[in-house]
Amino acid sequence: MPSAKEIKSSMRGIRDTMKITKAMYMISTIKMRKAKHQLEATEPYFYGLQESMSSILYNFPSIRSRYFGEAEGGEDEVEKSGPVKKGYIVLSSDRGLAGAYNQNVFKVVENLVKDMPEEEYELMVVGELGLHTLAGRGYNVNKEFHYTATEPSLERARIVSENLIKDFYEGKYDELHVIYTRMINSMETTVETQQLLPLKRTDFIDMDNAKIPRHLRSSETGNLGDIEGDAKEYLIEPSPHVVLDEIVRNYVTGYIYGTLVQATACEENSRMTAMKSATDNAKDMLNVLTVQYNRVRQAAITQQITEISSGARALRKNKEQS
Amino acid sequence: MASFSLKILSCDRLFYQGECDALIYPAEDGGTEILANHTQMTAQVAVGELRYKVPGGADWQIAVVSGGIVKVDHNEVTVIVYSAEKPEEIDAERARRAKEAAEAELREKQSAIDQRISEDSFNRAVQRIKSAGR
Repeated sequence: MPSAKEIKSSMRGIRDTMKITKAMYMISTIKMRKAKHQLEATEPYFYGLQESMSSILYNFPSIRSRYFGEAEGGEDEVEKSGPVKKGYIVLSSDRGLAGAYNQNVFKVVENLVKDMPEEEYELMVVGELGLHTLAGRGYNVNKEFHYTATEPSLERARIVSENLIKDFYEGKYDELHVIYTRMINSMETTVETQQLLPLKRTDFIDMDNAKIPRHLRSSETGNLGDIEGDAKEYLIEPSPHVVLDEIVRNYVTGYIYGTLVQATACEENSRMTAMKSATDNAKDMLNVLTVQYNRVRQAAITQQITEISSGARALRKNKEQS
Repeated sequence: MASFSLKILSCDRLFYQGECDALIYPAEDGGTEILANHTQMTAQVAVGELRYKVPGGADWQIAVVSGGIVKVDHNEVTVIVYSAEKPEEIDAERARRAKEAAEAELREKQSAIDQRISEDSFNRAVQRIKSAGR
């Protein structure tokens, strides 16, 4: 059994660590609340963009855009041949101590790309920890793509998306996917893979009547009437293409910003959970050690009393005999 | 005066929602006004000052916006932009710093995409300073 002094010093160590985990827990709580708030604030913007996109696609069904993976017929367009090149944007965190947050992301990434030859994919990793880990494991990581994951800002999202859109438009990537952690509810999170570009028309046009703008519904049947050609009475300035490009840019930026915020909320959430269980563990350990310490102390006292009383009895016996 | 409903959405918040008499948005080729019963339209919004008049109010309300679209659909007008700020919310000092940073970036040799990002942030900073200054 360890001595009382040893137990005491290990208790002090645990108590100090507990102070740190407790503080980190509280900081994460605040950060998560902030991220959740940010996330809620982006929602109307996002739905608004989605709605405008559907409205344009409805009114100008003949529009073709590279962002939908369609040929535009422009002069600078290059014929695509060979394998499809996929770009994966991976959202990890800058710092560790966030439970299995990063490990879960890596697991999904590795499952996706492990069977792909190196020239068919490229990873763009947000967050220091993910960047170093994935590069260290020998995956094809784009070294020029270097952004921090802490405190996502609109400005950063815009720079990321402008670059991605440009790369996509120039044909550097044929598909862009984003891998991020999403919150199901406050207890559960899940890693998701979403295709960012090309956009899918079906995401915006739903043949369900509920989503058809009311002016497009034919009055009797309530379903899509004659919208074969482009709408004549719909004003679009300066041109459908310019407006569509603007929407796509806003949309992708909004999407990236949303995923960044979402991922931050999850990171802080899992750090919060990790720190909570660390604090709880520390409490349990302290409880066990306190009992042990008391026992050792009690044993020492008992022993001392036994020694004193047996000494006293020996003295008394000596006296009686003499 | 007939009014219509206006919604101004920016990436990080719902900037304004309510009735509106008239709206002037900045387009690439100058300010464009929207009144009630405007035809259906979707148009590009440039970096600049967006002005709107609320019913009963005498003054124009000003919002400094940066890039996006405006959508008109049966007297429902939605403006969707990256960012929208009231002139008094603008941190002039920050805008000045941003302008200087953008100027420095523009002096450097850089790729076309970086050039565009720098130009955009330069324009935004200039607009912010202009609107904050009055």
